[in-house]
Amino acid sequence: MKTFLRIIGGLALAGVIALLAFIFVPVQVSKPARELAADWQPEPGQGEYVLHASDCVACHTAEGGEPLAGGRAIASPMGTIWSTNITPDPETGIGDWSYEEFRAAMVDGIARGGTHLYPAMPYENYRLMKEEDIRALYDYIMADIAPVQNEVQETHLKFPFNLRFGIRAWNWLALTHDVGFDPVGTSDLQDRGQYLVEGPGHCAACHSPRTPFMAQDGVSTSDDGFLTGGVIDGWNAPALRGEGSVSQAWPVEQLAAYLATGRNAHSTANGEMGLVVEHSLQHLTDEDNLAMAAFLKGLDGAEVELPKSFAATGPTPLPAPETDAAGKATAAMLIEANPDMPLGARLYSDNCIGCHFANGKGAPGIFPELQNNHLVTGSETGPLISVILNGAEMPGTAKRPMTLRMQGYRDRMSDEEIAELASWLRKAWGNEAGTVTATDVATVRAASDSH
Amino acid sequence: MTDLPGYPSRRSFLKATAAGAALSGLAHSASAQQTPQPVSLDDYQREYLNADEWAFIMAATARLIPSEDDGPGAIEARVPVFIDRQLASDYGTADDWYMEGPHDPDADPARGWQTPLNPAEVYRQAIPAFNAWCEQTHGAVFAELAAKQQDAALTSLQKGDVVLAPELREFWGILLANTKEGYFADPQYGGNHDMQSWVYIGFPGARAAYREWPERHNVKYPLGPVSISGERA
Repeated sequence: MKTFLRIIGGLALAGVIALLAFIFVPVQVSKPARELAADWQPEPGQGEYVLHASDCVACHTAEGGEPLAGGRAIASPMGTIWSTNITPDPETGIGDWSYEEFRAAMVDGIARGGTHLYPAMPYENYRLMKEEDIRALYDYIMADIAPVQNEVQETHLKFPFNLRFGIRAWNWLALTHDVGFDPVGTSDLQDRGQYLVEGPGHCAACHSPRTPFMAQDGVSTSDDGFLTGGVIDGWNAPALRGEGSVSQAWPVEQLAAYLATGRNAHSTANGEMGLVVEHSLQHLTDEDNLAMAAFLKGLDGAEVELPKSFAATGPTPLPAPETDAAGKATAAMLIEANPDMPLGARLYSDNCIGCHFANGKGAPGIFPELQNNHLVTGSETGPLISVILNGAEMPGTAKRPMTLRMQGYRDRMSDEEIAELASWLRKAWGNEAGTVTATDVATVRAASDSH
Repeated sequence: MTDLPGYPSRRSFLKATAAGAALSGLAHSASAQQTPQPVSLDDYQREYLNADEWAFIMAATARLIPSEDDGPGAIEARVPVFIDRQLASDYGTADDWYMEGPHDPDADPARGWQTPLNPAEVYRQAIPAFNAWCEQTHGAVFAELAAKQQDAALTSLQKGDVVLAPELREFWGILLANTKEGYFADPQYGGNHDMQSWVYIGFPGARAAYREWPERHNVKYPLGPVSISGERA
């Protein structure tokens, strides 16, 4: 009996010690993928470019706030996470951080002082960035960004997510990959694209599915789940590989045009992707956007045909899009204008057809096509409902300065009518997706009312 | 074959039959939706016009676009509501018009508004003056005359045989124009109730999508109109 109690006591003590160690022993931070020479200097402009490519501004800038001064609310399934001030202000920003501390935040998710960052910070992806780029980014922020004194709201998630040391265990599951970039070696251009997509671009943060533990299921090209599509905050981030994906459906120059301008012959960026184009991708070189497009095209081994240019300036011929048999059938029905058509078709005729046309093909570079449009047919119906209710806007970009705007129809259609319309759109022109209910619409309407 | 979305396909028809009559209404019809009927013109709460003016507008518009024969008249289309609401709005007060002088009552009509009065004031002053003329000439105020006499009185007004003050010379013109506007304007302004005038003339309303139709000669476009606020008829 005494021996038994001693064993129990010993185990309990070991458990407590292990737990205390888990909570208090500092985590080993990763070594750099490559040691840089002592006199290494970034290329002029390199750090600023990495800042754009990594889209730091989008999260680390509050609505109407100073760039990079933090304070944006980021919705997560666990609660609201407030982004931090990453200007070099010593008190409220990262002015006191050493380069090693900065790198640990980027590749291990560990802030100065050992606090674990919530993985809303995509260190799973930044872990794949080159040492040179991380260093250039650090130098740029410290030397060229003006410090902004801005104490941001502290993140307070509910138990157990408020216990940040738990992220240490999460990182055992999520950070199984090595630090640094591992090119596939298809071509220099595609390798460059792979690097931008995997690392700074952190595309997998939205476009890869999540594991049951909410880690990215596929962070690099060698992972099966990589870019096979995810759901983020009620939006479908569509698959960027495989049958039916835009990467396979669109030519390389259309993919590149979408990245650089938020629009192409088929579609218009929306929601989070619109922000990515606005804050990040439009600031990259044509070559880099082309590189990402080429990488995505060739991800599953498809032939990559490189265009000479894309999204050319000046007058550009925009041939009228062709449609297929299913598209023609729906178009013919709409054009007949028979009063006995279904209510959804009538509502399309009354509200949408002027821009998206009877064949649902829209107009290249301006109005998105609705046939095989992932926003129309996605598993998540909230975005489609929201666009119909509230409209949508893609801001102008350097290469395509026109703002594209769709008006909202919240005053023109009831919840029941929008449900009929959305359900019809999800079956028209050969689309195959489920129905939308008036309750679904009411939910989105109420949510957008409160904003 | 390709099944058209929303149309019951052969398969869905079979399914629906198997499931029983409860499913027979799978797709809603696209025809007019049921809109709640507005208050009758007698119970309508006027925004600008007084009782005598309202009686005049009711009677005059009913003669300008009569309800006899085919098609809706001004009364069915609720034109008086349109005129009342317009006169209460920035049209009635000429808010964004150039209203400084000089005003020349003898100027050519092509030279525009030639009175210091705004449209609401023109109606307010002209209706009693015209009613007085009707009493003198036909023995009763306009609203109480027989239809034939009303037509004669309006004809006199149009021809300028009714002597009105120089600053009221636009009265006939705006009465006729506002009546037509109330008949054909979008229903959100109170007239063209249920888009009756659009249905009558075959105007499809605010749909803006007839690209495939201009070359279909002598084929009637079959779909009813839609209003700016989305009503269907």
